[in-house]
Amino acid sequence: MTKVLDKAQGIIVAGVGGQGAITLAQLILGAAWKSNYHCLQSEVHGMSQRGGAVNAHIVFDSEPVTSPTIMEGSADVLIGMEPLETLRYIHMVKKDGHIISSTSPLINMSTYPDESRVLAAIKEIEGVHLVDTDDVSKQLKNRHAGNVILLGMASTFLPMEHDLWNSIFEERFQIKGEKVIQKNIEAFAFGRNLINT
Amino acid sequence: MSKETKQIMAMGDEAVAHGAIDAGVKGVFGYPGTPSTEVFESAAIIIEGKNDGRIARWGANEKVGYEMALGASYAGNRSLVTMKHVGLNVAMDAFVNSGITGVHGGLVILVADDPGMHSSQNEQDSRYLADFSLIPCLEPSTPQETYDFTRQAYDLSEKLDLPILIRVVTRLAHARGPIDKIPTIPPVEMGIPTDNPDKKWVLIPANARIQYQKLRDKMPTVVNEMSAYNKIEYKDKKIGIIAAGMGRAYLDQLCQTEKQLTEHSRFDVCAYPIDNKALRKYATECDAVYVFEENYPYIEDQLIAFTNEAKIHGRRDDTVPMSGELDLLKLRKAFSLELPEAKSKPGINIPNRPPRLCKGCGHSDAFNNIQEAFKNIGVPDPRVFGDIGCYTLGTLPPYNSIQTTVEMGASLGMALGAGHVGMDPVVGLIGDSTFFHSGLTSLVSLAECKGNVNFIVMDNRITAMTGQQKTVAINIIEDIGKAVGLKDDQIHVLKPLPKNNEENVAQLEKIFSHKGPDLIIFRRECIEAYRKGLYKKLYPSE
Ligand code: SF4
Repeated sequence: MTKVLDKAQGIIVAGVGGQGAITLAQLILGAAWKSNYHCLQSEVHGMSQRGGAVNAHIVFDSEPVTSPTIMEGSADVLIGMEPLETLRYIHMVKKDGHIISSTSPLINMSTYPDESRVLAAIKEIEGVHLVDTDDVSKQLKNRHAGNVILLGMASTFLPMEHDLWNSIFEERFQIKGEKVIQKNIEAFAFGRNLINT
Repeated sequence: MSKETKQIMAMGDEAVAHGAIDAGVKGVFGYPGTPSTEVFESAAIIIEGKNDGRIARWGANEKVGYEMALGASYAGNRSLVTMKHVGLNVAMDAFVNSGITGVHGGLVILVADDPGMHSSQNEQDSRYLADFSLIPCLEPSTPQETYDFTRQAYDLSEKLDLPILIRVVTRLAHARGPIDKIPTIPPVEMGIPTDNPDKKWVLIPANARIQYQKLRDKMPTVVNEMSAYNKIEYKDKKIGIIAAGMGRAYLDQLCQTEKQLTEHSRFDVCAYPIDNKALRKYATECDAVYVFEENYPYIEDQLIAFTNEAKIHGRRDDTVPMSGELDLLKLRKAFSLELPEAKSKPGINIPNRPPRLCKGCGHSDAFNNIQEAFKNIGVPDPRVFGDIGCYTLGTLPPYNSIQTTVEMGASLGMALGAGHVGMDPVVGLIGDSTFFHSGLTSLVSLAECKGNVNFIVMDNRITAMTGQQKTVAINIIEDIGKAVGLKDDQIHVLKPLPKNNEENVAQLEKIFSHKGPDLIIFRRECIEAYRKGLYKKLYPSE
């Protein structure tokens, strides 16, 4: 049964062009759609293939949704695929919102602040859940695991049914074969456990 | 949902493509430009899958795209032409006069505006250009409306004998959501016009005067027809709200949580021209009027023109900031509603992360060559007139190699002008797609220029920045150079690879020192497109 929501849910996915932020956002949008929620997603792209900051918003609700973007200070969940990008959107998250972030930096600019300062700043935030995606991807022997681990973590704060996610992976990665589907399901479960245990 | 309809997930841009194709469009034309590019691209994919005689072709620029669509309309087919807002400036001549000629097969123009300038040089509002041209405009606010409006626009276009402009903005063009689709109809075939008593298609003054008068006379019918899309609901008249496009989307969203807002009177604008009488009545009857529109104060200024300015609240009185996009926060502030409590910003400064040239992109080698050559011949503060494409990023460190970017093709025109008045050396730098779009006409005048004017074409044989679309022509730039009167020793083809650095720099030193015009072509594949295997796909005979 789909859970009836008392207000629209807003999720922001942030990353660097090429990291797969839009793809990750589409998985969440697909899950909201499959759960029969009204939903919209906003993405800004165009020049994003060249390493700039990228973000996508997903809004879903039991009631009709017409704004594809989330108001500053009201996102329920922020998923950051890179620590500096997570910090860039902190002000978009509501006071008691959740932040799921990778701690693995992507440094493609000379002005990138000192790594230790970035990590210190991110640890200070209330409601933050961190994971070293580079490290964990190595553990799981799955180079692409990072984003799905983040999604698994975030899913614990989302109203969709657990089983639904597996069917999303099956649909999305069908053309890539059973092995890829299983790898994703595994990474997702790993992420979920990081929060649930 | 009836069993006739099918729900799919689509971006606003894709919804336009589906709407047009489901309405029986036969020809899709355009020129790439963010955020409009995906309309053509998704139409092309759908068309490929259908194999029922429809076609999709990029034009060399928006004007050519527009003319192709108008020609297809003349030939009795429904057509679509897509462009970004500044592209409509390029197509303006065709656009305005197509209002005077009218259409045969339905003609729809998709224009994507870019409030907030996510990927543009300005935030011009296409509603003014539609107004100016007496061409009706539909403005959807969700992917579903985008689909419905586009589909309906074809009947409207044929009924009114006018092109219809569909105006979307970035947030809608790139908003993804479910849309309910109805079954597709096959391409409409009306045949070429037979009954042509007014010679409406030949705009010599004698005919144009008649056609123009007809257009003026038709406007009440047009207003009437378009007004069916606009909804006026009088409730509490202390406050009246007028909302259009994304202003409407944000207002509807806000009403979900702020039910008190639904007590106010409301005027929803989805189509232009707006019925002036209805607008005037609304403005007179409501004590205060709030206007939310994206993004110039277009409706607002009409209201101010016929009522007491003090009661109109919008961009003019700073209820909403004059520039930039609308959002939910701006609407909350306009109504003095409580603002959400956010997490506090981090204690450290977050530097921007602008997009950058792909690692190993030939443009970076070309910029290095140019800078080094300038240094070696003793030009301490080199200036390069630049243009619009990936290479515009050459303005950022470490290259700092582009000093102007104004509009498509400006690099070469500005370089010519600067050369004529004595600047030396002059460099105008442009990509191949932008060259075919608007640079060709400047090259025609290069040979007769006496100054040290150097045109550089960054030729990767693809429209790289917007996602690597096919360029209208390849491998002909040096021939064009010859055709316009440049000698062989004034045309230079260089390959921007790291290993060619020394050789390229030496060549450029000579060229920049030559006191006459030169054409330099930096030719190398876009590595992104190469990796995706696009060259083989787009130019199979190569
Ligand atoms: S997309 Fe192509 S042309 Fe553009 S920066 Fe990347 S490699 Fe260079």
